[in-house]
Amino acid sequence: MDYKTFLQELQDRHALIFLSVAENYNDEIYLSVRSDDFKKTCVCLHKLLHSPVAVFFAQDSRREKNAFVIYCTFMSAKYKKWFFVSTEIAADKAILDSLAREIYSSSLFEREVREMFGIEFSGSPDARSLRLHEEVWPRRSFPLRKDFQNKPTKDIEKAEYNFNKVDGEGILEVPVGPVHAGIIAPGHFRFSVAGEPIINLEIRLGFKHKGIEKLFEGKNVFEAIKISERISGDSSFAHSLAYTQAIEKICGIIVTESLSAQRAICLELERMYNHANDMGGIALDVGFSFPAALASLIKEEILQLNEKLTGSRFLRGVNEVGTTRLKLDEGKKKVLLAALKKISKDFGEIKKILLSSASFMDRVDGTGVLKKKTAEDFGVVGLAARASGIAADLRKDFSGIYTQFNFNPAKEATGDVLARLNIRIFEVEESIRLIEEFINIHHTASDKRLTQPELKEGFALGYVEAWRGPVLYWIKIDENGLIERCKVVDPSFHNWQGLSYCVLGDIIPDFPLCNKSFDLSYSGNDL
Amino acid sequence: MIFIILQIIFLISLAPLVSGIITKIKNNLRLRRGQSVWQPYYNLAKLFSKDEVCSEHSSWVFKITPFIVFASSLLALFLVPAFIAKSPAQYLGDLLLLVFIFSLGRFFLALAGLDTGSSFGGMGSSREMFISSFAEPAIVMAFFAVSFNFGTTNLAATCGPGALKFSSLIAGIALLIVTLAETSRIPIDNQETHLELTMIHEAMALEYSGPSLALIELASYLKQIVFFTLISATVYPVVFCAQITPIQALTGIIIYLAKISFIAVLIAFTEVFLAKMRLFRAVDFLYFSFVLALLALIAATLGA
Repeated sequence: MDYKTFLQELQDRHALIFLSVAENYNDEIYLSVRSDDFKKTCVCLHKLLHSPVAVFFAQDSRREKNAFVIYCTFMSAKYKKWFFVSTEIAADKAILDSLAREIYSSSLFEREVREMFGIEFSGSPDARSLRLHEEVWPRRSFPLRKDFQNKPTKDIEKAEYNFNKVDGEGILEVPVGPVHAGIIAPGHFRFSVAGEPIINLEIRLGFKHKGIEKLFEGKNVFEAIKISERISGDSSFAHSLAYTQAIEKICGIIVTESLSAQRAICLELERMYNHANDMGGIALDVGFSFPAALASLIKEEILQLNEKLTGSRFLRGVNEVGTTRLKLDEGKKKVLLAALKKISKDFGEIKKILLSSASFMDRVDGTGVLKKKTAEDFGVVGLAARASGIAADLRKDFSGIYTQFNFNPAKEATGDVLARLNIRIFEVEESIRLIEEFINIHHTASDKRLTQPELKEGFALGYVEAWRGPVLYWIKIDENGLIERCKVVDPSFHNWQGLSYCVLGDIIPDFPLCNKSFDLSYSGNDL
Repeated sequence: MIFIILQIIFLISLAPLVSGIITKIKNNLRLRRGQSVWQPYYNLAKLFSKDEVCSEHSSWVFKITPFIVFASSLLALFLVPAFIAKSPAQYLGDLLLLVFIFSLGRFFLALAGLDTGSSFGGMGSSREMFISSFAEPAIVMAFFAVSFNFGTTNLAATCGPGALKFSSLIAGIALLIVTLAETSRIPIDNQETHLELTMIHEAMALEYSGPSLALIELASYLKQIVFFTLISATVYPVVFCAQITPIQALTGIIIYLAKISFIAVLIAFTEVFLAKMRLFRAVDFLYFSFVLALLALIAATLGA
């Protein structure tokens, strides 16, 4: 069934009224609706496409239309399309029906839009701020509005953030963070425990809010790529790739197979070093230090390989609009193949040690179970979703270089720490296989970009399956060739909620292990 | 007499080194160079010269605890013979006293953990008491087995010259398992972790700094060497009695060091090649130790 039939059916059987339907490039469908119909349309698409909200964002168009434009996006692997439901709401009456009671996965996005744009959501179950903490941020100051002035304000009405309370005899609250032991970013964890078992966990983030989306506005398209690389340091390449993809779509730059392959190699290298790192991390968090030491060796091998190939250990500055700095000549191919062989061997070693250790398996098996239903409801994505039995992987869902080489997505069903570990093991093995395939693609020299590509006005979505899950960039370029709006979604944004539900019923000392098995980014979430 | 005093000084100065050696072996096993074996001494020196921060919400319990903990470990050290089967305080009490002395230290440390009102301290206290309620019976049972062999609970006598017995060997293994719990090592606890949520012993001492922390750390080193000494003496008794020549003393020291090193290596390997157990699984592990001790007791009554 073609997507047009699907849309026709929506109009006929579900009585949805679209003001306009537009196809943007070949994978984005924009459905414009009246603001009263927005909720109905979104709920309908959510149910029919079985998709959580992938991106939900607003755009300040008060200058042109005296309105805010709201977009709510769903993904369909079946039609290989992204469906954007959009609506305009008048600037003087910025209020919209909340989706959060019907679509849980929109809740965090709504809170984000509310505090960034001052758009209210009627009937919203949670009206607390998300990243702009009440204690420090002035009220009625909305940073993503175009007329926002970044000036220090003296009169801050201090408000208090109310954590969800669990009452009952013997229930204790354990506050942890935002400052943690170890070298990690800040986040506050509020546990409600009955003895050791965790009854509730609420995670409060936003301490690392840097105003990235505001920073993008008005920036030169070619320079802003550096910002994207620094959103989450461990996914630099994936972020830059999603960014350049969006730009390339808008500017109509053709991506050759050779270029896709080079990028895919980098993307898989990034996945591999992070997966190796996490396998070590999981082992270390249960005090199993020998494989942890081996894992850090593997990670270092890959980082050094990255440097040899691209000049950057963390693959920064490699990706550019329309090209990459990775030039695979025969010498580099040899280096890459030799390194892969060694990594593959070391990797087999660590896999054997971990999976054959009774004391280790006892810790990870059955710990931190994230149920499929919970994962679906909260829109958990990527690695964590695959571990809970959700078959979702952008590398498989959209055709491209991966589908050409019979990419085989990982899948587990149990949703525990062991499942997330197994996904990592499987994916590293698959990555090694894929890179060996990608090397054989004929790498043409024509990848060299001779002239600066011509910029066009427009908007597009860039999407990449990073190691944690999909990284999405929705970018709009204005008539001057500058970025007007850039909405970024890191997979961590969805998955932190998954973490807070997977620990319920487990005991407090198992929390660090569950946390490590997700290994989410604070920076990517806080933006 | 001189050797008995020498023995005490020797044990106190050796105690941090044992930890240093275990850490070194662990790091080498993990393909790392690792810190110097003298690092525990540097740490102690550093902590003793530092200022101390004390929560204003804490009471006298918090301030007095480091001294009690240290004193209890020191007293325990006065009870156990290392290379001469005689100890300074041997007429003060016996095997059972040793158990109670350590309980005293633990009791105050648990109180101090609660005293500051920090959630980690409370969790640590609760876990420590939980674990020790399983560890203590195993220790007592192992001691009984040993004292059966010698017909006395006097430490100097039970650690002194005697035939190598099967039951003592089993009791020694039971003690080794308990020692892992008592010295907060993997698979029960993890000394190296920075994850407060998983800590047991460390969590109670999180609020301490400066000299107080140094005392608590030193107390742990002493406690560790007391346990190692007990295991070594149980499995392979001390050969020499009180009246000895310097040559015999030297031989005694060498045998003692060999025994302690063996235990240190054993523990280092355990720590590197085992994962930490789930908190509630530790109970099974300690039960196992109790059952072993019980077997030792049965064997001892049968004369094995």
